[in-house]
Amino acid sequence: MSELALKIVGVSKVYQLGKRNVNALANLNLDVKKGEFAAIMGPSGSGKTTLLNVIGCIDKPTSGKVLIDDIDTAGLPESELYKIRRNKIGFVFQNFNLLPYLNARENVELPMEMTTKSKNERTARANGLLATVGLAGREEHRPQRLSQGEQQRVAIARALANDPAIILADEPTGNLDMKNKQDIVKLLANLNLKQGTTIILVTHDGQVAAHTERILFLNDGKITKEKEGMHLAKKNICPYCKAKLQPADEKCPNCGKTVRFRKKAQVRLFP
Amino acid sequence: MENLFRDAICLGIVSRAFRNLSRRKIRALLVVIALGFSMAIMIAVPAGIAANQSATQNLTGNLSNTLTQTEATINQTLTQIDCGLASSAPSGFGFSGNFTPGQFGGGGRGDFNFTPGQFGGGSGIPGEFGGGALGGGGSTPMNESLYTDINSSISGVVAVAPILTVSEGHNVTVTFGDRSFTRLVADYIIEGVPLNSSIIDNYPILPANITAGRNLQAGESGVVILSENNSAYFGVGVGDRVTILGQSFEVVGIHGTSGASDRATLYMSLSDAQALTGNTGEITSLEVFADTTDDVTAVSSAISALHAELDVVTAQERLSQLQQQQTNYDAQLANAQATLNQTQSQAFEEIIVAVAATSLIVLFVMLYTVRERTKEIGTLKAIGFSNRTVMSQFMLEGILLSLLAGVVGVAIGSIAAPFLSSVLLPTVGNSLGAGFRFTGGLASTTAVTVNPELMLIGFGVSVMLGALGSVYPAWRASKTRPAEAMRYE
Ligand SMILES: Nc1ncnc2c1ncn2[C@@H]1O[C@H](COP(=O)(O)OP(=O)(O)OP(=O)(O)O)[C@@H](O)[C@H]1O
Ligand SMILES: [Mg+2]
Repeated sequence: MSELALKIVGVSKVYQLGKRNVNALANLNLDVKKGEFAAIMGPSGSGKTTLLNVIGCIDKPTSGKVLIDDIDTAGLPESELYKIRRNKIGFVFQNFNLLPYLNARENVELPMEMTTKSKNERTARANGLLATVGLAGREEHRPQRLSQGEQQRVAIARALANDPAIILADEPTGNLDMKNKQDIVKLLANLNLKQGTTIILVTHDGQVAAHTERILFLNDGKITKEKEGMHLAKKNICPYCKAKLQPADEKCPNCGKTVRFRKKAQVRLFP
Repeated sequence: MENLFRDAICLGIVSRAFRNLSRRKIRALLVVIALGFSMAIMIAVPAGIAANQSATQNLTGNLSNTLTQTEATINQTLTQIDCGLASSAPSGFGFSGNFTPGQFGGGGRGDFNFTPGQFGGGSGIPGEFGGGALGGGGSTPMNESLYTDINSSISGVVAVAPILTVSEGHNVTVTFGDRSFTRLVADYIIEGVPLNSSIIDNYPILPANITAGRNLQAGESGVVILSENNSAYFGVGVGDRVTILGQSFEVVGIHGTSGASDRATLYMSLSDAQALTGNTGEITSLEVFADTTDDVTAVSSAISALHAELDVVTAQERLSQLQQQQTNYDAQLANAQATLNQTQSQAFEEIIVAVAATSLIVLFVMLYTVRERTKEIGTLKAIGFSNRTVMSQFMLEGILLSLLAGVVGVAIGSIAAPFLSSVLLPTVGNSLGAGFRFTGGLASTTAVTVNPELMLIGFGVSVMLGALGSVYPAWRASKTRPAEAMRYE
């Protein structure tokens, strides 16, 4: 097992618009390590959503390789792809996309429906995840009775349901007010710090991006620039007791809790 | 397949299907009602056909029965010649005054009194011809012995049946200004017939239609058969004793003949009637039977020559009317059969339309539902639902919808089947020629009923149609491309 959650090699995506070809992704390369928290920024139409869709196996690249947990998904048939989406990917959408006629817990249970988990296990896990995102006691509430921020928390819990290799979030804070925006970013950052969840989020918002550890700039389907985010610094501080950590520490020398994936991300710049 | 089954029974899918239906209550309700009606049609139309079929069968059976009887009556009465004293003979015999369902008899005109048919597979079934109920004849008594020569001296005469007919009733006085009239209103009519086996076994002088008990038998005395009206008038039935003009008789049978005069006529032996009414040796009419129909004219002129005082009437006019009637029935049969054929092809078309409508309703509603929920479907696929699961989900919703509709359809169908099939199908009853309707005892109604078997079939078909109509929308849903679905707002 490599330490990469995602490896993208020479991926292009060409849309045909009448006679014109749109190169939404142009020979793009990207590695994301397990436990990384990355942001993708770029102007509208630069290919951010297309990139997330290709990673999330809901869109096929025209060419190139997409390895998720070392599995090349680019050539897989639909009968295999849905399993990758179910088991390896967690989607978070700008509009939350909760099923309005299901309550919070049922929404979180959805991705587990066709798995080997029993109904009881599913319910227990959904309740646990809702507690993790700060919605203990709101399990029975339907989306329309939850605030926008709360709905996005449910969506994040749903994305975590099958313990995916990567969380893909397309402008998860795009529809939220300042307060909720900060809460959601903190939630994602905490998930990354405490549980080592690999997260790639797309945002137009520099402040949101700044909370990640790695900011990728996309332009015309290519990554043109990469920056460190503030989150990286936090990786040398124990999220539980705030004690200073050494890069090699597996456990916090102060509180003894496991601190995973805190190695400094390897920053690669693209020409 | 096994997985599909597992998917389908998976509680998540089932409960979501229910919730989605209940989420759009009005829509579900409208669809269920619309579907319910199509299904009701599918149930009601076969039920209507079955009813029409059995009505036509009844009609055919009854008409041919009647024709046989008519023929028998014609043959029997062709040779019959009715003689009574000219001064008092009402109008001889012929057709019943009022063609009240079923019976020829009495004197008077042939008056067809038909009204339009009634639905429900209702078909006018002609009633019986009262074989022996040839009314007519005079009511003025004459001496029986004066006419024994008819039998002995006229060649071609095979039998003579002396008859005594006496009306019993009460007087009613009607006053117009300074004048008043007294009129006898008959309570019952006593008809004495000779109970010789040579006559009653061979010639139709006793009523043919015995509805209870038995007919009179040769050599009997002290017994009567009553009409239904008599039975009500005297308040007695078969096996009871009845007192007539102070004398007691045993009621052995009830006759159902309903010709105008026969409705009031009770029958007993000639000698009983003569003794009872004080007309010993007297009769009011003679029924003369010729050997063959060819003899009738010669015999009747011989009777007139021998006894100028007698009014002699033959069966010739009656024959032509019976033949006319036969032609009528043939036309009705042909008509009924034509209607049935038309009914079946029409029913076939209607069922096709109902089946198509049902599938189309499900198809369009489910297509609309799928379109409306594109984003939801995209989301489900993005979070890892397989095509098959999505397909099962929407198939199940369509089937559930038609299941509900099936229940409603069966309910509407079984309650409204008579109404629906009357709207949807031509009816045998209606088709019996414009303006023809048999009323009273003639109308035989075959009710449109929906049996449990038909309900079950209707229900099964509705679920199948629901599944059929859902296949394409569900397939469309399963093929939704999540990336596109997400762009679609
Ligand atoms: N289905 C499609 N058919 C044709 N062109 C498409 C399709 N999807 C995306 N594109 C084009 O590909 C390019 C990249 O689109 P994409 O949605 O990835 O941009 P984005 O960076 O997410 O933009 P935004 O910030 O507005 O969401 C755009 O030029 C877009 O018009
Ligand atoms: Mg986008």
